[in-house]
Amino acid sequence: MRPLDPRLLRYAHAARRFLLVGALLGLAQTLVVIVFAWLLTRAITFTVAGEPLRTIAPTLTALAGVVVLRSVLIWLLEVAANRGAAQVKSQLRAKVIAKIAERGPDWVASRQSARLSTVVTTGLDALDNYFARYLPQLLLTMIATPILIAVILSQDLISGFIVIVVIPLIPLFMILIGRVTQSVQQEQWQALQRLSTGFLDVVGGLGTLKIYGRERRQFDRIRSITEDYRTRTMKVLRVSFLSGFVLELAASLSVALIAVSIGLRLIDGALLLGLGLFVLLLAPEVFLPVRQVGAQFHAASDGLAAAEELFAILDDETTSEISRADSAAHTVQFGSGALLLDGVSVRRGATLVIDRLHAKFSPGQVSVVRGVSGVGKSTLVAALLGFIPFTGTLTLDGVTVPAGATRDWLAWAGQRPGLFRGTVAENVALGTASADHTGRNQSLVVQSLRWAGVAEVSPATVLGVNGEGLSGGQAQRVAAARAIYRALATDCHVLILDEPSSALDSDAEAGLLVGLRHLADQGRVVIVVSHRAAVVAAADNVIELQELTHA
Amino acid sequence: MPEVTLRTSTRDVLRLAQPRPRWFVPGLLAGIGSAVMAVALLACSAWLITVAAEMPSLALLGLAVVGVRAFAIFRSVFRYLERVSSHDAAFRQLAELRLGMFRRIVPIAPAGLTSTGRGDLLTRLVRDVDDLQDLPLRVVQPLLVAATTALLSVVGIWLIVPAAGLTLLVCLLLAAILGTFFSGTLSARADRELAPLRGSLADEVLEIVENLDVLTAFDALNPRLEQLAQTDARLRKAALRRSVGIGVQSAVVSLFAGAATLGALYFGVPALDSGGGLLSPVLLGPTVIVAVLVPMAVFEVFGMIPLAGSAWRQVRVSASRVADVVPTSVPGEIPVDVVDPQTLFAPDRAIGPVVLELTDLGARWPGQHQPGVTGVTLRLAPGDRVHLAGPSGAGKTTLAQTLVRFLDYTGSYRLNGVETRLLAQSEVRRMVGLCEQRPWLFDDSIRQNLLFARDTATDAELDAVLARVGLTEWSRARGGLDARVGERGSLVSGGQAQRIALARALLANFPVLIVDEPTANVDSAGADALVRDILTAAADAHRAVLLISHTPVPDELVTARVTLPAHTGGHLQGQSM
Repeated sequence: MRPLDPRLLRYAHAARRFLLVGALLGLAQTLVVIVFAWLLTRAITFTVAGEPLRTIAPTLTALAGVVVLRSVLIWLLEVAANRGAAQVKSQLRAKVIAKIAERGPDWVASRQSARLSTVVTTGLDALDNYFARYLPQLLLTMIATPILIAVILSQDLISGFIVIVVIPLIPLFMILIGRVTQSVQQEQWQALQRLSTGFLDVVGGLGTLKIYGRERRQFDRIRSITEDYRTRTMKVLRVSFLSGFVLELAASLSVALIAVSIGLRLIDGALLLGLGLFVLLLAPEVFLPVRQVGAQFHAASDGLAAAEELFAILDDETTSEISRADSAAHTVQFGSGALLLDGVSVRRGATLVIDRLHAKFSPGQVSVVRGVSGVGKSTLVAALLGFIPFTGTLTLDGVTVPAGATRDWLAWAGQRPGLFRGTVAENVALGTASADHTGRNQSLVVQSLRWAGVAEVSPATVLGVNGEGLSGGQAQRVAAARAIYRALATDCHVLILDEPSSALDSDAEAGLLVGLRHLADQGRVVIVVSHRAAVVAAADNVIELQELTHA
Repeated sequence: MPEVTLRTSTRDVLRLAQPRPRWFVPGLLAGIGSAVMAVALLACSAWLITVAAEMPSLALLGLAVVGVRAFAIFRSVFRYLERVSSHDAAFRQLAELRLGMFRRIVPIAPAGLTSTGRGDLLTRLVRDVDDLQDLPLRVVQPLLVAATTALLSVVGIWLIVPAAGLTLLVCLLLAAILGTFFSGTLSARADRELAPLRGSLADEVLEIVENLDVLTAFDALNPRLEQLAQTDARLRKAALRRSVGIGVQSAVVSLFAGAATLGALYFGVPALDSGGGLLSPVLLGPTVIVAVLVPMAVFEVFGMIPLAGSAWRQVRVSASRVADVVPTSVPGEIPVDVVDPQTLFAPDRAIGPVVLELTDLGARWPGQHQPGVTGVTLRLAPGDRVHLAGPSGAGKTTLAQTLVRFLDYTGSYRLNGVETRLLAQSEVRRMVGLCEQRPWLFDDSIRQNLLFARDTATDAELDAVLARVGLTEWSRARGGLDARVGERGSLVSGGQAQRIALARALLANFPVLIVDEPTANVDSAGADALVRDILTAAADAHRAVLLISHTPVPDELVTARVTLPAHTGGHLQGQSM
């Protein structure tokens, strides 16, 4: 792990500003530490010399001022770190979201969308600790440590020498121990992973266990997996705590060495008390930031790991063949003829999924596309939507449709309902600019719901995240209603529904089929991807996708 | 700690998280040792130097030298021992904690956990339980260590310069009180402000990322992105406002640390003239120096307290979330055995054919006002194969969960003429089995996933039952019974998971078998074959089968059909786990 990833500075301007402000504050803090030690030493030597309070008073006043200044600087550094974290998170989030939007749905589909969202939200929060705890200490290590060493050297060569010898030992030992820890961890990692999910496995399967009357027997199992987890984890921890041990030992021993050497030279009279005390007070301060950096290492690595995932997305320079920018450029007017696929081939990565498909979807007809699972039905739909590129030609009423150019002609509902928070009406009228509450739109929403066979859902029903509040079958039909609404409201000529009835019972399915027939009767091209017998029976035209045999 | 009123159930959960003294005390003692050594190291070093300047006897100096070295070494050694020992104690307690939680979950699962039944929330619960380990490690131990060390130091300094000791005490108390007050109130206010913003930002991001295809296809992406940018800006502004309050606590602690040092100097100077406290006559100058410098070391140890404060807030949140999910009392909708299982109708191992009769049965999910299902009248006799259909939301799953007594019922539910309320739940479940909508497969081999239905089954019997559910080829291709199914059955498709679940149920040989929506997670091409295979495999003259499914079922496979009417209760289909 690099202590500071340069990409953080490249992608988030706020990080640069924080480093600058932080460095200045760190410098000021270091100076305050030195002045504090110097004033304290002065006050103590006066005291030991038996000076009256009156003589010491100015020093005490100055000391009080420094104490206040020190608090203010500590406060400012924390404020700066937290502001930096908030701004950097916001900047990175905006960049990644823009990148995701640019990459398009097919790219998202190739990753886990939940994972992506977590990275952009809670994953980024791991940067809080990185900024609040780790970076300031890292800055102090870079600034305070050399300055303090220089000051000690200028006052007392021997103490300075001790510090210079010990300081490099700390990272050295940390790296050595880190290596050992890593090899121990790698051995244990898989086992640990399984053990830590063991409890989840039992709790999650509790319903099943109860059905088989096995719930009581799980007590021993929980105990044993947890015990196993403990022994293995402790094995790893013992080693990794060693690094903390070495850090502390090096720091305390060098303070001890400095104290003893100063003490011995004081007896000889080779050193003055004030000087010795000053050096003794500064010595622990030299080690403090380094020790903190070590202690905050975990907080930092969590944050950097989260950032790492973001950078991987941002650095991903593979050009998407279909750029979103194009889509607004063309506005082609299409007539109301047939949709023709002429030698359309689609690849997913290196795999040819659809090979020179010829198909004709006539207006006024309900066409069904079917084929065994994995034959590429959804890939074909994604290609028509312009989410993945294809070769060959696609013409609508004799006019060529450029890939991904415009989707004005197309209304679609996917396999997943993909509903949003808000009312059912808002969901159904998604994306049509005139989603206001005029009478026409309201009645169009009602009509779309009816044609999708889901008239029982009121347009005013409020849905939660992911369309929560509807059953699976209802959600599927509301999604179909959304496509129907688009077809009706913006006069889309083609309607494509991907597996619209997989969660429907036969009554609901029949209702939807009636609605689709209405749409076809209006002269639209209606395409349904489905295996359901009832859908196939209701179709005017069945297109069978054949499995490609890959050599 | 900020004053909070903890509900008893939260307190119960916290109590479970604290290791017993036998495990906890060694780590605590080592922690105190390490902290005291750290203070002693600075005190002894300072003393050594000032004593040396006065050119005393070499013997005294030698003692100081040994002391400095010993404190330096033992400080690190104790620290290491503390960390090893306290982590070990926390892990030992984790077993108790998990068992304690499990004991509470058992009676209410799975229906009482419905609100958390979805996988991600369940994961959350388990993680919360594990996070409770922070209570001993990051809250109790640091607080006790810091308090003890501070107290010992105050007494030590009081012996040298009484007034300086009192100043230190006052500064420590003020730093603790004001520090935790600031961090408590400020961060509590900030969290109240930030948490909902964070939540809605996360929701918006998830909606956009998950539905990028929909938003793109409907030309609705740009307005969404603008809306997200606004939420992000609101969150950023709130975070910036919050940041002003954040460093206050560290600043306050640092301020009082300085005040303690100044106070020691201020009182130390006159003490040198007047003779000072009990110990000071030994060597006046050097001991006073110790009194001046020790507060710095004490406040460094004291730095643990604010961290403990924030850890405490997190632990408390986890504990109350656990307490919410796992109530101390069983909700009324969940049945509790009214009979002592010991004094039961002779628990007859070999169970004969069973007749199941429902009359006007109704049931309700915990926390719902409307019943999930009402007015079901049904009779299942050996040899029956009944297809139960009904629109989504009609209560099909509710009925299934009620029949295995995960939910209590109204009306009548009799098995061989005996009202099931009078039977132990385990007794009912020996007669009525359920293949759940989303069968849970344990992260283990296929063999183990089958064996727990009947642990005496031989491999030949397991192979035979796999053959009955049409999995012979599948299991052979994966290397037989030893093949693993993956975490939460991740290596197994929805249809195969259903078949394994059915194999399990066949092994257990339930006289009545309920199969709940086996095709819910299966593509429609596979669904018809699955339904057919299930009904064929489960058919038996001694068994009654109730198949709940929205997939059409061919006539020749069933003996009767029942349709639950859509009811207007507005109940959202309860998801079992």
